[in-house]
Amino acid sequence: MTEMAYEAPATEADNPARVAWIQKATHWLMTLLPGAALLLFWQWSSGRLIKEIYVSKPTAVAQRLYELFASGEIYPHLWTTGQELVLGYVIGVTGGVVGGYALGRSPRLARIFEPYVMAFYGVPKIALAPLFIIWFGIGMGSKVALASIMVFFLVFYNVFAGVRSVDRELVNLTLVMGANQRQLTYHVFLPAAAPFVMLGMRMAIPYSVIGVIVGEFTSSTQGLGLFIHEASATYDPAGVFAGIVILLGFVMIAGALAGRLERWLLRWRTPSGFGPSEI
Amino acid sequence: MNDPLLAFDGIGQDFPMPGQRSRVRVLDGISFDIDRGKFVAVIGPSGCGKSTLLQMAAGLLAPTRGAVRHHGRKVTTVNTAVGFVPQQAQLFPWKTLKENVELPLLLRGVAPGERRSRVAAALGSVGLDGFENHYPSQLSGGMQKRGSIARTLVYRPDIVLMDEPFGALDAQTRMVMQNDLQALSLEAGATIVFVTHDITEAVLLADNVVVLSQRPSRLLANIPIDLPRPRNMFEPFRNVGFEAAYDAVWTEFRSQIDTGRIH
Repeated sequence: MTEMAYEAPATEADNPARVAWIQKATHWLMTLLPGAALLLFWQWSSGRLIKEIYVSKPTAVAQRLYELFASGEIYPHLWTTGQELVLGYVIGVTGGVVGGYALGRSPRLARIFEPYVMAFYGVPKIALAPLFIIWFGIGMGSKVALASIMVFFLVFYNVFAGVRSVDRELVNLTLVMGANQRQLTYHVFLPAAAPFVMLGMRMAIPYSVIGVIVGEFTSSTQGLGLFIHEASATYDPAGVFAGIVILLGFVMIAGALAGRLERWLLRWRTPSGFGPSEI
Repeated sequence: MNDPLLAFDGIGQDFPMPGQRSRVRVLDGISFDIDRGKFVAVIGPSGCGKSTLLQMAAGLLAPTRGAVRHHGRKVTTVNTAVGFVPQQAQLFPWKTLKENVELPLLLRGVAPGERRSRVAAALGSVGLDGFENHYPSQLSGGMQKRGSIARTLVYRPDIVLMDEPFGALDAQTRMVMQNDLQALSLEAGATIVFVTHDITEAVLLADNVVVLSQRPSRLLANIPIDLPRPRNMFEPFRNVGFEAAYDAVWTEFRSQIDTGRIH
């Protein structure tokens, strides 16, 4: 794989932009290959190795997806689930960052509250789904609550660990340089915690989806979770997979956005340009 | 104005032992003065609390007994009149070199125009012009160290506290850095307290070498080094009188190495 990429520049050495393009294209091709193979195998085996009624097949799923979007049947579900995801995620991340930061900065607060957070972290959040339906209703509230609580703990622990891991010597140095607490937060703690915040945010994406879908499975009037639930209840595997494909799309888009944010926030970590040079 | 700029006055320090109720005595009645414009090296066996003295001067740690006086006033809170150069360069990895050096000025509310010129001057004085927009990860160890020194000198601290700053550098880089530090301190007339465990380094750089004993550490000697400046950092033995000065320090230091069991 790498050999191919290295042979190309030898013949096209006069055009670096083109070489870079070819390398990129090769990389993408290699990435897509296993996925394509899996889809082909799925298509081939469906009806041959396994009955189609159990696993459907890619063409049927694609057909189903097309119908769902063409008829507009899926849009209300998409809209509801989308809102729940975004709200749950934003609330969870905000709470996690604020809580993690506060406890990370204050050892006294940490001593008091960490055992509680630890205990609640251990509670299987999915078991709370029925309760949340009772508390927040079968509308969006309960799903947002479920998603945000799952997101919260992940982000909280990462930020907490991140803030606590900030080098004490660096903090002391900044104090000697003349920093007050606000400046210390802005110039040292926040940037030092940024990689951990990003890690938490990336890990939390699939969890927000799980939270929302479990909530919708439990009880709801609209949403992708409900759609998938109904499709499986009516022996419609193509519908189930179509719903899953849409969720996959959500996760991938969110992941790409988070990746972009990460590259921008942590640009000091993957520096471009010159490498280390000798004195 | 005969008062010393910085005075360690009967410093004693006990640290709690991890997992035990007893406390270990690290420093025991240490007193010495640092006059304005002097370069004082503090030398002692590892674990003797040399760095602890610097932390006290910076106001990051309160001594159990005694006091550090800066301008005759007891240091009780973080002492922002000093500068601290740690063992590792400790540049902020998320800031470019320029932003790193600019930070102390920013924190002290220096106007943007003056910040720019002072940062440029500081980077120039340590030979780092042209690397303003590099992140620390793009710089070599020696360059990071230079950046760390520039970041301290840029706000013209009263006293520069250096904690084994060249300990982690390779031998050649180290000689170059020692030479540059001598030039910088001569030029700026800076007052420097320099902690090291290297006798040659101490003798070459300092006007006075303070020798500490093993834990609980006491002051063994405060030896003036009267070698003419500028001194040759690359060939220590070529400095007239180096041998005698080295000998004077070594005589005090050797007893600590002979009896040392913890290394």
